[in-house]
Amino acid sequence: MGKYVAQRIVYWIPALILLALAVYAMAFYGAGDPIKLMFLREEGDVTYDAQRLDAIRREKGLDRPFLVQFGEYTWHLLQGDLGMSVISGRSVNDMVGATAPVSFQIGIATVFLVAIFGIPLGIIAGLHHNEWLDNLILGSALFISGVPSYVVGPMLMVFLVLGLGVMNVPYGWDGLFSTKAILPLFVMVFGSIAIIIRQTRSGMLEVLSEDYVRTARAKGVPEFMVIIRHMLRPVLTPVLTVLGQMLIGIVNGAIIVEKVFGIPGLGRLTIDFTYGVDYPVIVAITLIGAFLVMALNLLVDITYPLLDPRAAQAMTGVEE
Amino acid sequence: MTTQELSGPATFSTVEASRSNLWKDALARLAANRLAVVGIIPIILLFFIAIFGPYLTPYDFLAQDFTARLAPPSSVHWLGTDELGRDVFSRILYGARTAVSVGVISTVISLVVGIIMGSLAGYLGGRVDMMVVWLTDVTRSMPALLLAIVINLTLKVPLEAWLEQMYLQTKNTFFRQTMWVDLVLVFGALALIQWPGYARLIRGQILSIRSRNYVLAARALGMPTNRILTRYVIPNAMGPLIVAVSAGLGGAMVLESAFSFLGVGVQLPIPSWGKMISDGLRLWQTHSYLLVGPAAMMAIITVSFAWLGDGLNDALNPRQWKE
Repeated sequence: MGKYVAQRIVYWIPALILLALAVYAMAFYGAGDPIKLMFLREEGDVTYDAQRLDAIRREKGLDRPFLVQFGEYTWHLLQGDLGMSVISGRSVNDMVGATAPVSFQIGIATVFLVAIFGIPLGIIAGLHHNEWLDNLILGSALFISGVPSYVVGPMLMVFLVLGLGVMNVPYGWDGLFSTKAILPLFVMVFGSIAIIIRQTRSGMLEVLSEDYVRTARAKGVPEFMVIIRHMLRPVLTPVLTVLGQMLIGIVNGAIIVEKVFGIPGLGRLTIDFTYGVDYPVIVAITLIGAFLVMALNLLVDITYPLLDPRAAQAMTGVEE
Repeated sequence: MTTQELSGPATFSTVEASRSNLWKDALARLAANRLAVVGIIPIILLFFIAIFGPYLTPYDFLAQDFTARLAPPSSVHWLGTDELGRDVFSRILYGARTAVSVGVISTVISLVVGIIMGSLAGYLGGRVDMMVVWLTDVTRSMPALLLAIVINLTLKVPLEAWLEQMYLQTKNTFFRQTMWVDLVLVFGALALIQWPGYARLIRGQILSIRSRNYVLAARALGMPTNRILTRYVIPNAMGPLIVAVSAGLGGAMVLESAFSFLGVGVQLPIPSWGKMISDGLRLWQTHSYLLVGPAAMMAIITVSFAWLGDGLNDALNPRQWKE
């Protein structure tokens, strides 16, 4: 088991380094001269004094070779320092610190709501396999998974605010438990719930034909207890494996939803600074996003065999 | 003699029938799936509009009518006009072109890359396999929209500078069109996001099919490798691949619009539904038709792809035939 955990860590750490290197290299060679950008921002389209630019570049250590700068960036990154924004001159840490809590709240609330609604719906669909209830749930999940969030969000606004008039314009953020959070959360849940419903449903279909379920039913265990005691664990364990996929969907969805509803989160930060070519901010957010997904994958890889002893043998051996 | 004559063609025809049964069965299953049939109609329409759009649109997508700026839907402008007096309906029809061309081309690119990498991993195994699987895992843990933003942000300026340089060197006006930069970046980002899926699928198919008994039997009988490939491996891998391509095509269109929505997609003047939605979002309270038109179109197409994909999956996935 220890060897397996080590293997998984060794598997994901180089991935993160490769990603950081690729993103940093793209920004380093492609995003343009940060000093020039800074001047453009502060003094408008002025002619630059080349010597002055060089002096500042040397002072900031930007004239050194790529690998040295990348090494320094990584070193600072490991100490939790994300660097300085080129455009605003503020520390990226502060900017991320101010926006990340909002995004994390939305993300966690989404996972929570998806679990609360998605898992029971999946169980119901599985229990009523091929009946109208199953078709209804599966059909809606299919419908839901198709429509992208940048369509659902605006359409709902038009429908609820202009059409029915039951809601004020949900623009901005007043915390998770305000009325403004209802629509963004709905759109987020809408985007990720289908994965969970389908995974739970197919898990149920597999478990239903197991001998121990038939035994439990035969000895007169109430149906509810059969579900709770005998089905839930084997059904929910595979749901873990789609968490990584779900997190990617949540990050993507958050970028869109934060733009649509004007929520000051990480996604909004990304879009706002796209137009300004503020690459330290973009690199930082990209790395945070990728790090979260990889960390979650690692966590799932490690905990999965613990929760499902049958998978332990298979997973420590060959992959897939 | 007569019995031989009769039995000869008879057995021959049954072999033929069983050969085409896979696809006939699949088609019959697809036709029996109501959602899939409903879904396939908008998709056929979409491709039709994408190809013949310019002959169908009442107005040019750039034609401005300043007397009718922000006009609500009417008999003249079916879905109204935007801030610059351009006909929204015409722009939606042209947007089909963007969606289909970006979807098809990026799917072809990622499919080619995926098939090459997946077959390398499946056939060579060992280190190569490990590297490919690792690479797909790395790429897949990158949220797509962040990746597109990073690519657009960092590679656009140098690419444009390179085009400018090429123009100065060659004086070829081809290098003057900066539209190509956008297209290359969007295709690049989409291919980068989508190739791992295809690579893993192909790898999995190769690994599972080549250890099946019928392939082992064929090999034991001395059937040449290319015949095993054309006779057993490719037909068996085709079903899941078709399902994946159908889903990938829809996914690529959704992502293309998402890029445009965020301002990192194909830039104007080519209309893109995502861009139209994000433009419409600025005026949605007063001119909601600007938003509803392209959004409804996007919703119809994406749901159609989901239904068709599910129908194809049911029709072509042999595992479910048992049920």
